[in-house]
Amino acid sequence: MKKIDRKDFLKIGSGAVVGGLAGYTLSGAPFLGFQWLVEWTQDQYVPAPGIEKYVKAVSDSCTCGCKVSVRKIGDRAVKIESKEGVCPACLNGLQLLYHPERIAAPMKRTGSKGSGNFQPVSWEQALKDISSKMNSIINEGKANTIAAVNKNESLNGQLMEKFIKAAGSNNVYYESSLNSITSQALGGYIKYNFSNTDYILSFGSRLVEGWGDAVDMQKQFLNWKKKNVKIVQADSVCTRTGSIATEFVGIKPGTEAILAFGIANYLITGKKKISSGGEFAKWSQIIINKYPLGKVAQITGIAEDKIKKIADEFAAAKNPVAVAGKGGYGVSGSSAEIIAVYCLNTLVKSKAASLVKNSAVSYSAEFAGLDGFIKDGNFAMMFLNGSDPVYKSVLGDDLKKKLEKAFVVSIAPLMNDSSAYADYILPPLSFLEAETKENKPVVKALKETKDAKEIITSLAAMVDKTKNALPKSAVVSGRESAVSKFSFNVSKIKAEIDAYEKKVGQNAEYPVTLVPIEIPLVGDGDGLAFPYVLKSIDPSTMNVGKFYVQMNRETADKYGFSEGSSIKITSARGKLGKAYVHLTDVVAPETVAIPLGFGHESYTKYGNEKGLNPKKIMTADVDPLTGTADWWSTRVKIS
Amino acid sequence: MIVKDTAMKRKWGMAIDLDKCTGCGACSIACNQENNMPIFEDDSDVPKRVAFLELMKVTNDRDAKFPDVKTAFLPKMCQQCEGNDSGHHKGEPPCVSVCPAVATDVGDDGVVSQIWSRCIGCRYCQTACPYEARAFNWWKPEYEGSFKKSLNAEVSVASRGTIVKCTFCSHIWKRERDKAVAKGILDINAVTYTPACASACPTGAIVFGDLNDPESEVSKLAKSDRAVRLVNTIDDVKDPDKKKALMNKKQFMNPKVYYLTSQPWLRDMMRFKKNS
Repeated sequence: MKKIDRKDFLKIGSGAVVGGLAGYTLSGAPFLGFQWLVEWTQDQYVPAPGIEKYVKAVSDSCTCGCKVSVRKIGDRAVKIESKEGVCPACLNGLQLLYHPERIAAPMKRTGSKGSGNFQPVSWEQALKDISSKMNSIINEGKANTIAAVNKNESLNGQLMEKFIKAAGSNNVYYESSLNSITSQALGGYIKYNFSNTDYILSFGSRLVEGWGDAVDMQKQFLNWKKKNVKIVQADSVCTRTGSIATEFVGIKPGTEAILAFGIANYLITGKKKISSGGEFAKWSQIIINKYPLGKVAQITGIAEDKIKKIADEFAAAKNPVAVAGKGGYGVSGSSAEIIAVYCLNTLVKSKAASLVKNSAVSYSAEFAGLDGFIKDGNFAMMFLNGSDPVYKSVLGDDLKKKLEKAFVVSIAPLMNDSSAYADYILPPLSFLEAETKENKPVVKALKETKDAKEIITSLAAMVDKTKNALPKSAVVSGRESAVSKFSFNVSKIKAEIDAYEKKVGQNAEYPVTLVPIEIPLVGDGDGLAFPYVLKSIDPSTMNVGKFYVQMNRETADKYGFSEGSSIKITSARGKLGKAYVHLTDVVAPETVAIPLGFGHESYTKYGNEKGLNPKKIMTADVDPLTGTADWWSTRVKIS
Repeated sequence: MIVKDTAMKRKWGMAIDLDKCTGCGACSIACNQENNMPIFEDDSDVPKRVAFLELMKVTNDRDAKFPDVKTAFLPKMCQQCEGNDSGHHKGEPPCVSVCPAVATDVGDDGVVSQIWSRCIGCRYCQTACPYEARAFNWWKPEYEGSFKKSLNAEVSVASRGTIVKCTFCSHIWKRERDKAVAKGILDINAVTYTPACASACPTGAIVFGDLNDPESEVSKLAKSDRAVRLVNTIDDVKDPDKKKALMNKKQFMNPKVYYLTSQPWLRDMMRFKKNS
């Protein structure tokens, strides 16, 4: 071997140094170092100062009509404040207003449906295209193939209903809500007078967690506390409502209706109470024969004496009220259940619940409800007015296939699972940019967005048949009127009442029941696009990408699960992806509680691919009266 | 106007009635918005999360079985500890004594301050904090695109590598004081304020006020039978001599945030103790 002389040694040495330096430079480390240096030495972003001002605003895009005071710095809105409480949609108003992924101009689809490829177009072109499509459908005599799905019964929802009906179609639907399903089941929705009641019997209604008018319920809750109102909550998960209730009645999942049958049976046979409802005699015969107290006790898991005690207290209270509609923001229930619970109110002649109708919102369409329409209906053109039925309906995947074949217009401020299938997305104003009867816009509108009401009226003006159907500007809201007589269609729901027993009974293949729960601010899914909502999610629901379902400890033991173990949930409709188990006894035995509102496919980068959407495997049997799937409890197997 | 007495009379404190809390989350949104909380791509990633107020969900399911279970929400922020306060007029919270950069200190109003720009990121205070109320910016706080427009100009945006925490929205007090000065009111004790979480609460569960004023709602609530402070074990020692002896040996938190609950299980859980 050659000896290394001094010159070689220097060569090798300098070679190593040069190589090392080159490597260091090419590795990017110095650039990262510079970046750090910049970050650590430069000032952080400084929010622009300005003159402070408070501006009042009233929301007409939510059903609560939230009244807020907005703090402005210069021309920026920085805070939404309110003394009266705000619904989650308005609470997140600022994050929507300044959302980086907010759609700033009308978008036309460029890629295939569902791909999410769009390009901005002008309002003129978008409205011209949509109206000419609509004109040609009407001219072909197929007006009834034009359909619309509204998010809610707000002013723009009422306008949309008028517009579509004027075009000659009866296909106007609302995303399933407490008012929509009760209206379909009872012929009108229930107006509760909670401020005068002294006893509330709730069948799974999570009263303070988004149920009904979420803002008003917070005030009612304080009122109940003050007046010592007795609240009895029957539910299979002890949520916050179950905990603030005077009495929490743990019930086997999905058997709330049967408890109502049992109480009715006891009140009719034992207490000789009768109701004035049409067909009451027929109904009571079915209940009495089919659901004797012993059987009810066995199915619901509540002792016979306890049912009697609840029924006695309910009947003896001065102004009792029974409440139906399970859940909070995402509400579900069968018509048989809603009727049974409302019948309890008529049996005790409750003064706190009355049936009313809104003249502007009919809920009467070709199909009884949205899910029925998705399942069996056909449409060539679809308007999605702020709604996201692909995500929220249990039949979302079926709807996707139908949307692929139709001409779809979505009015939505952010891309959502349904807008991804749209041909046009029209961006509406957020409530802070909109002008209402009460207030001027709080801030200047973002680029090319328009008021949802204006979008609908200008479209109507361009369609020949609806030219003169809508008023040019402000719309008169409908009026509430009492429903004269309560009657229900027993023959239509008889099969449902019969099927209940089988639905909740023993099932060897699918032994466990899946029920939904809701997380603060996430609700039934609208909140997930907002980062400050993500910040509030507790780690037992979602943590570092892991999505948790809740299970009773005993049940977990029985099926071989422990805290944090992975779980696959399968129903007759399909399999849900990977979730993890969180053990907690707030859930009834033989039950898996799964958070709603997660698992969006296309809802901004904040909402995407977080958790699972349980509605994909939840029961999709459409109720004959409500036209909506009663997805609340689903039989599943777990592995 | 001439101000004769300039001594601070206030001692800000908070009382949170957990019986009234429905867990709606309005306090959390209000706090995040008011204090320019950073927005990361995935804020459900709890270890990375930076937030002042945590809406904790607690249940008694360790000791109870269905259906005898309960769920409650517990909004938890910086508890503004006073420490043993042995002669020290301002109090000595666990975080302040360990800070080498005077980035956190106690004001004469009792509020434990935190100055982001002074923080050198040693995280001693985070370790010392018994309530995990402090958050560290492991990443640079980002506000993507137009989210920047909703930033509050009164709260500075933190740099990467600094500790941040709830300051009882002390910037709102400054705002109110500035307004008072503009009207010619120079007496600092004449001005009150409400932090963002308290003014956002729809059921009035969060009450804020002056603990030094015996007539204030918060003082009355703090003396209520339902009042309990988070893991402040010295509260259970009734004998004043024993209390004094213990305080000489050990530093207790002595927080200025009081929780109120009628639920024995929740009380026990908050005190780390059984059978209250």
